[in-house]
Amino acid sequence: MSKIKYHPDTMTLIEFSAGVLPPAVAICVAAHVHYCDQCRNELLRLDQVASQLMKSSGSTEISVDLFKRVEEAIDKIPEDTFNETFSPAEGNFPPIVSKLMQGNLQSQSWKKMSSSVEKATLKTGQSEYEVALHKICAGGKTPKHGHGGKEYTVVLKGSFSDEMSVYSEGDFLLREDGEEHQPTGAQNGECICLSALQAPIKLSNPFGFLMKPWLRINPI
Amino acid sequence: MFQSKFKSKKNEPMSNKPLRSEKRSDKWTLLLVAVGESRDRKAFAELFDHFAPLLKSFAQASKHEGWFPGLSEDLVQEVMIKVWQKAGGFNPEKASATTWIYTVARNCRIDMLRRKSNTQHLPLENEDFWHEPDEDTPVSLLRQARSEVKVQASLLDLPKEQDEILRKVYLEGKSHAEVSNELGLPLGTVKSRVRLALQKMQVLVAPEYRDELV
Ligand SMILES: [Zn+2]
Repeated sequence: MSKIKYHPDTMTLIEFSAGVLPPAVAICVAAHVHYCDQCRNELLRLDQVASQLMKSSGSTEISVDLFKRVEEAIDKIPEDTFNETFSPAEGNFPPIVSKLMQGNLQSQSWKKMSSSVEKATLKTGQSEYEVALHKICAGGKTPKHGHGGKEYTVVLKGSFSDEMSVYSEGDFLLREDGEEHQPTGAQNGECICLSALQAPIKLSNPFGFLMKPWLRINPI
Repeated sequence: MFQSKFKSKKNEPMSNKPLRSEKRSDKWTLLLVAVGESRDRKAFAELFDHFAPLLKSFAQASKHEGWFPGLSEDLVQEVMIKVWQKAGGFNPEKASATTWIYTVARNCRIDMLRRKSNTQHLPLENEDFWHEPDEDTPVSLLRQARSEVKVQASLLDLPKEQDEILRKVYLEGKSHAEVSNELGLPLGTVKSRVRLALQKMQVLVAPEYRDELV
């Protein structure tokens, strides 16, 4: 596996570890962390700090019967209900993505965006971002485009390139509002990415039907 | 299951610096191992006595929208039930009991908030964001840089304004933007205070320098 070159910035990791990122962004960070030992280590250290903060913020008296209530609850739990794992939907896909896909790559509902790009939207139950899989075919060129909001991308399989660099498995990218780019799939195989596209402020554009497919997003 | 990615890592050059793996043996960690390995109720009761009051303070610190003090003991209860259920997956080589129980609490707190809000029906639990690597991941990759005692000591050394912001983010559950609003400070100032604090505690390693430390 090639080495991961692009990581979330440290402020994003901190907000991730505190659990305050928008869920769609957190999904992208979690997907990256699945591939990235460095960020996973950094998160462990951040958790350590957070746990010491918790410890140093004092204790509060609890109700006398709380332990009894907990004991009653655990007596009712069947012993085999812990430690379930999720098998990857595809290759080395992160568990969180596999869970959202609820099936394999073939079972997603792919929509053609251009001759070389298809998109399958993932259901995440929030409306700030559209979370989707993008598939760029080998050597496929996408039209130059921008978006109406932030765009997070994590490469899940294969690699693609743009004007600036080549991105491969595990790489995490953030494009700010209005930054234009033109991704091109690698020659040696298709590329699958996870993306989170921020919904533009004006979500219900009356001329929405005129918008290019790159601007038309649909968070579900 | 996810073995392949770690196998490939073994071929990568590692630096010559010795990698420390601390076998954790503080009282709470040993008790949590006992709960995981032998479903030890006495050990669980001791953990409860120690952690439940801390967890209640953590719950009460929350400033999340929709959170109210009445939820605090519900959270304590939910966390301790999870601790009982999940203790089998606790690995003392990766984290101490305190760190591990904090992560359970953070995840439970977010899930409780999501369940209460009508706007987000996330098909995920917060736990799904925190998948740990497999059992057979080499411990050297899970190196914990600093001992808990050192982290605690360095927290005490932080200037008040840095400590305050860390607490708002981690305990009250506020984003940097929310902290900036509340304190009337520019976002950049909030971020740089967080960065300074964590750098001072030697927790943060900027991506471009990380390789040198591995
Ligand atoms: Zn990373």
